[in-house]
Amino acid sequence: MRNLINKLAPRSPWIYRLNAGSCNGCDVEMATAALIPRYDVERIGCKYCGSPRHADIVLISGPLTVRVRDKVLRVFDEIPHPKVTVGVGVCPVSGGCFRDGYSTGAPTDHYIPLDVIVPGCPPRPQAIIEGIVKALDVWRVRLTEATCCRS
Amino acid sequence: MSNILEATFAILIFPGGAFALALGLFLKGMDRKVLARLQRRVGPPLIQPLLDVLKLTTKETLIPTTANELAFRLAPVLGLTGVLVTAAVMPVGGVWSGVSGLGDILVLLYLLPIPAMALMLAGSASSSPYGALGFSREMAIMFAYEMPLIASFLAVAVRVGGAGGSLFSLDAIMAYQFANGPLLLDPVMMPAALALLIFIPGTMGSGLFDIPEAEPEVIEGPLLEYSGPLLATFNLMSAVKLVVVLELAVALLWPNGLGGNVLVNLAWHVFKCLALLMVSVTCFRAATGRLRLDQGFAFFVKYTSPLALMSLGLAYILR
Repeated sequence: MRNLINKLAPRSPWIYRLNAGSCNGCDVEMATAALIPRYDVERIGCKYCGSPRHADIVLISGPLTVRVRDKVLRVFDEIPHPKVTVGVGVCPVSGGCFRDGYSTGAPTDHYIPLDVIVPGCPPRPQAIIEGIVKALDVWRVRLTEATCCRS
Repeated sequence: MSNILEATFAILIFPGGAFALALGLFLKGMDRKVLARLQRRVGPPLIQPLLDVLKLTTKETLIPTTANELAFRLAPVLGLTGVLVTAAVMPVGGVWSGVSGLGDILVLLYLLPIPAMALMLAGSASSSPYGALGFSREMAIMFAYEMPLIASFLAVAVRVGGAGGSLFSLDAIMAYQFANGPLLLDPVMMPAALALLIFIPGTMGSGLFDIPEAEPEVIEGPLLEYSGPLLATFNLMSAVKLVVVLELAVALLWPNGLGGNVLVNLAWHVFKCLALLMVSVTCFRAATGRLRLDQGFAFFVKYTSPLALMSLGLAYILR
């Protein structure tokens, strides 16, 4: 019974957007992928939720600026396990054009482990959707092994 | 003794319980699928609401440290139990006429606000400002939509009672419609039918009346702090609540079956619920945005209540 539920659970990913000091470019692409009927993420069961407590998959954009770092980490801890993180855009991996700037201490993945990375500045909506689908595989493994992504 | 057995069966298996849960999840799935097709999308699979509930049971339950834990855990259970009991009272035309002594529309008036009460309890127990905001919005909109509901109930009771006064028994209302045709086709009752049609999205919080749980404004309001199995319980509650309000409108206005066969009547009943869902929730939700709280309140007071009261007045004059 538990196995069956674990197998079915990744068919209902609820998505939460976490803006870690992004320039809004990636956020617009994520909103496009979600809001307009053309890219229909609901067909893989996705729903965008406003509350981090409902989320399964977190889409993180932006280089994690010094100013929002503590708030982002607090919101990230509010998301119940098991959760999967998807870094959207180049900023979460390398800092992008904000790299070595005075306001970005480090790339996001020094603080939050990223499971899937969708590169691009900004990435196309199709790429974001593919990132979500890849995150489902990570989630499947995480459910069977019962591992956590942040202590 | 047999009465107790009958009531247990009604609450756990047939009109309430398993049947209501399955029907509710099916109706929610149809709602999402048809909405997607109206927007020319593929949409989620039909079993998506069930998958959501199953998924939520695998998640961790987080409780805010400032929340009142007992009320926080109790609210979803209370809500689900309340709607299951309400679903058990609902008659299914041609199949089931309710447990004798339970079916009365005055009882329904007491049972129907339970899910809204559970949401209010959840919102206030979660100690979140957004939860409190959702609580106050839920309460305000509830005061607004109770009025047309009560007026439509009274209109039906007066119309069925005729010169003999008013009849509040669901059995009598069903028997009247089996004998004289559905009240939906009665010109006197048409305004009340319209008011009930507006009451359904009002109590389900969809379309224009998505005020207490508005995602972009109050972030799901009362449900903000819920996660895991407790949120799954709230999802089930909302599914059964949908069944209850649809079955209520069907029982009051159009309970007629298609003949003697029980299975045909049951399928007809499900079809009527589905048709009502499509008109009052899905198409309405696809075509409209959201009102402000004061506009939503004024909508019920200015337009919906007078419709129901008009039916009530006509039913009094013409009896």
